[in-house]
Amino acid sequence: MIFVTVGSMMAFDRLIVSMDKWADEHSGQDVLAQIGGGNYLPTKMRWTRMLAPNLFREAVREASVIVAHAGMGSFFVAMEMQKPIVMLPRIAANREHTTDHQLHTLRWLRSKPNVYAATSEGELGSAIDRAAKDDYASLGAFDKFASKELLVNIRQFLTQQDNVASIPMPGTIGQERR
Amino acid sequence: MTRGILAIASGGGHWIQLRRLHPAFEGLDVAYVTVHASYAEQVGACRFYTVRDVTRWDRWGIVVLVAQLIRILIIERPRLVVTTGAAPGGIALALAKIFFRSKTLWIDSIANCEQMSSSGTQARRFADVWLTQWPDIVTPNGPHYWGAVL
Repeated sequence: MIFVTVGSMMAFDRLIVSMDKWADEHSGQDVLAQIGGGNYLPTKMRWTRMLAPNLFREAVREASVIVAHAGMGSFFVAMEMQKPIVMLPRIAANREHTTDHQLHTLRWLRSKPNVYAATSEGELGSAIDRAAKDDYASLGAFDKFASKELLVNIRQFLTQQDNVASIPMPGTIGQERR
Repeated sequence: MTRGILAIASGGGHWIQLRRLHPAFEGLDVAYVTVHASYAEQVGACRFYTVRDVTRWDRWGIVVLVAQLIRILIIERPRLVVTTGAAPGGIALALAKIFFRSKTLWIDSIANCEQMSSSGTQARRFADVWLTQWPDIVTPNGPHYWGAVL
């Protein structure tokens, strides 16, 4: 199954239109799309507006490839589930986002294993082909929590004004990390 | 009653980045604010509120959001407000600083690897601690770097 997602906030019809066309050309493929508030309703793939977090994870778990906007939420869920992800950045000039930061994000993320960049919708097909060949099972586990450095600093900020001086962080961090 | 912590984030990546900070919140009095009711399943027994999801394009939405946030702040009277963005978190930081003298922490999304986000830039003067997740963006006057969610 291919799982397509525009994320949780704004519509991204350029991705959905392109993937509906892709689904039409690959009729043997099961494709499910989270289309958000988009106006275009797919006819060649299954779709939903928005999945709750547990159902979203379920869809990612069942998918062999994720096709998404270049958003951090999609990235984190794909990495936690060790799935290859194709990312198409939103462009501010198309009113797909308020700024072009997804272009910056993708310039950084595309160097990571399991991430396949499509700089335009025309590159989606070839990126999916490359992602489908990904040997993702061989990748190591992905940390569930932030870096220890950030956790310790924030814990200190949250507890420094308490009368109880500093409440140490329960001993979970370190254990749940690689 | 001691005043607790208000942790607020928009949907998707902002919320996931806040969740990745969970060990830092463990055992503390935290209320969560976000934009999707379905996220409630992830916060256990913590107090949980939802507000309207807005971008800066949505002027009427911002009016509704401000009213919702003021109501939550009156109930919670937080000592600390922590946000990973975006617009709702920035507005919450400003309201909490102005009306409740809360101590405030802005953590810019790791997505913003070349410059601070627009909502982060606007939140700067209401943030006691103003963080980027990218060392390259740090300047002596902020933003500062305390680590990253990755």
